[in-house]
Amino acid sequence: MLPRKASGGSLRFVCFVILSLIPAVVFAQYHPKDTEWASYAADLAGTRYRPLDQINASNFSNLEIAWRIKTDNFGDRAEYKLEGTPLMVNGVLYATAGSRRAVIAVDPESGELLWIHGEHEGKRGGAAPRQLSGRGLAYWSEGVDERIFYVTPGFRLICLDAKTGVRVPSFGENGIVDLKLDDDQTISDWNNNREWAPNLETGEIGIQSAPAVAGDTVIVGAAFREGMTPKSMRNNKGYARGFDVRTGKRLWIFHTIPKKGEFGYNTWEKGSAEYTGNTGVWSQVTVDEKLGLAYLPVESPTSDFYGGHRPGNNLFGETLVCVDLKTGERKWHFQLVHHPLWDMDISSAPILADITVDGKPVKAVAQPTKQGFLYMFDRVTGKPIWPMPERPVEVGNVPGEWYSPTQPIPTKPPAYSRNGVSIDDLIDFTPALREKAKQDVAKYHLGPVFTPPTVSKREGPLGTLTMGTASGGTNWPGGSYDPETHIAYIYACNSCIEPIGLVESPKEVSDLRYISGVAGREVQILRGPGENAGADSPKPPKKRAGGSYSRLEEDDLPIVKPPYGTITAINLDKGEFVWQIAHGETPDVVRNSELLKGMNIPRTGQTTYNIGTLVTKTLVIAGEGQVTTTADHPRGAMLRAYDKATGKEVGAVFMPAPQSGSPMTYMVHGKQYIVVAVSGGPYSGEYIAYTLPSAGE
Amino acid sequence: MKRLPLLLGSALIAASLFALRAQEPAGSRSVWDGVYTEEQAKRGEPVYQKECAACHGAMMTGGESAPPLTGGGFQANWNGLTLGDLFDRIRKTMPQSKPGSLTRQQDADVLAFMLSLNKFPAGKTELYRQSEMLKEIRFETKKPAAKD
Repeated sequence: MLPRKASGGSLRFVCFVILSLIPAVVFAQYHPKDTEWASYAADLAGTRYRPLDQINASNFSNLEIAWRIKTDNFGDRAEYKLEGTPLMVNGVLYATAGSRRAVIAVDPESGELLWIHGEHEGKRGGAAPRQLSGRGLAYWSEGVDERIFYVTPGFRLICLDAKTGVRVPSFGENGIVDLKLDDDQTISDWNNNREWAPNLETGEIGIQSAPAVAGDTVIVGAAFREGMTPKSMRNNKGYARGFDVRTGKRLWIFHTIPKKGEFGYNTWEKGSAEYTGNTGVWSQVTVDEKLGLAYLPVESPTSDFYGGHRPGNNLFGETLVCVDLKTGERKWHFQLVHHPLWDMDISSAPILADITVDGKPVKAVAQPTKQGFLYMFDRVTGKPIWPMPERPVEVGNVPGEWYSPTQPIPTKPPAYSRNGVSIDDLIDFTPALREKAKQDVAKYHLGPVFTPPTVSKREGPLGTLTMGTASGGTNWPGGSYDPETHIAYIYACNSCIEPIGLVESPKEVSDLRYISGVAGREVQILRGPGENAGADSPKPPKKRAGGSYSRLEEDDLPIVKPPYGTITAINLDKGEFVWQIAHGETPDVVRNSELLKGMNIPRTGQTTYNIGTLVTKTLVIAGEGQVTTTADHPRGAMLRAYDKATGKEVGAVFMPAPQSGSPMTYMVHGKQYIVVAVSGGPYSGEYIAYTLPSAGE
Repeated sequence: MKRLPLLLGSALIAASLFALRAQEPAGSRSVWDGVYTEEQAKRGEPVYQKECAACHGAMMTGGESAPPLTGGGFQANWNGLTLGDLFDRIRKTMPQSKPGSLTRQQDADVLAFMLSLNKFPAGKTELYRQSEMLKEIRFETKKPAAKD
């Protein structure tokens, strides 16, 4: 059942042609119901909201497992990082799953597998920068024509018949658009002679997020490998493109790094736009279909922490860009971070919110970020809702680096998670622990948001100690939003501390002057995966470790004080917090600490960044990202529900592993379900569907 | 049917092995008992930097696509399990672009380096290179009181 080739295509093609000729009046495009979850974030506005209330405060803890699907067999090896959020539309649940990023269709009540589709991509799949099951897919329909869109690890846009899982032959070439082609650049890789040469197989580009389908357009961005220690300042560029939902024809392309003559090209000094790469749209794209506008969250340029080879502000790096849905023409943009140096990719779906500010209705877009700011704009004009003045920030002294002297800082709402490190943020359960932590961080450069990286030196600083950078804050799961009350609910890691140090790069490692590293730890030569790794290969040489880095923890306790992870409710009409809670059981290492015996420590939340929330009529629902073992439950994690008005926990249900993909909900035949992806550590990926017992408790 | 005696034999051996294991004091060693050597961790470091650091970070702090291999979240994931479970996970799925491309020795050396960065004490003997044997070593986040 794993079709490598579409079969019976001709009949379907004939049907498709006939149906295409019937006026759209007869077969209007599908408008999802409140009981469905029709796109990755519930809707194209990025809300993760469904107004369902069968599962509520009175019964959440009674939830039981309706069905579960282990994803081990949807690929040639098990996957331990299942990040998908399924769709449920027109009575079928669809999801990406397993190490092949297979697409599965499932009966939403029983979990019975209806079909599976996978693409065998060989070396191209194996060399992909973003592998495994990805985050999801997109649905489109018109009359009886129902389609599923997803992007393979090897960067092919696939269009499937939603009823059969077979590729739609009339789309692209036999259901496939090769995204490494027709990209206004020749996708390339370094060959063995260190020449940058065209290579469709290993040329670095891919994506793990779900395509956005709006009207007649499929929008796909691009992602790359982690950008901490790239081989080169040169890389492929992550342009965003729109395709015709029926034919796969490219409708538009947006150059996230402008070409010569285009707006923004002069923000790349010394011709650096020519060779700098990355700058993709790897997260979810949001669309306002009524306005005909798409909102593109753009990531960092090459490389994450050193920008000496790309002097200038670097548009559209770390910029929210609004484009015309049908043409890709830029309507407005706002660069959140000038000359990015902190890996503050715009990492999640922008949220569309129709709010009321000072009595006036405003069509707004709210962007959660790694740096804990919720940036809010009028989504028609791009004007900030509240002042966002350019404020002076520290200018560093890394040789060759170019610094922006200012950054825009939102005045409202306040930052909802830590985005800098100060002594006041350090562990303070006891004065002795605070003292030890102070000694440990003395080796680092500290400062508020936008404190730049330093060169790592053995005598110090080892680097800049940061929070709200590479991990965030809010990472790819993003936030959620209740359109009835105008309140956003956003999870954030409040303790994901990251030292950013730079070391000079040996030429054989990278042509960048500096890459991420720690003084005293020798930078290693990067070889191809598996090279020199066979059974009879020479053993690695014996080397003395530098030993200057030590784990940033105090007696196994996190070096920063709680809360370690939070959910914040923010009133978007006012730009003010409604409530903020620690999300997640206190970690075992804290709860069982001998040092803290006898102390009354409120729930701390957990140090984890990949938690997505779900909002229903009355609840905010989110699982835990870490395993705990408590008196109340065996080794596992809890899916928790909070009263969305107050933040008070009203129920919890056990999961065998941490939440690794954001929860979704739907209703079929009068029953509400919640589906969540769990995995991590030794537990391979599994989708679990919860529902209420039919017979009551 | 010819295979039945063989199967029965295997079952008996398996049962007796199980019984043997059951007689041992459950999980007699933990990561706090010096289960790797400093030399082995040093050998693992360059392998880690070459094969793992691009995603997990030079300092094992993780990245957008890969979790940290130190700290609370990592330790919570493995607390109460065994080094065999962790070793199996590495063997089966890492490095992501070419799982199983490292030798058992290299994987064991990387594991030793991970233990050293997680501040578990080094000892006099190297880590086993077989997951079945590593299953005898418990991963415990908390230092046992008796060892203080």
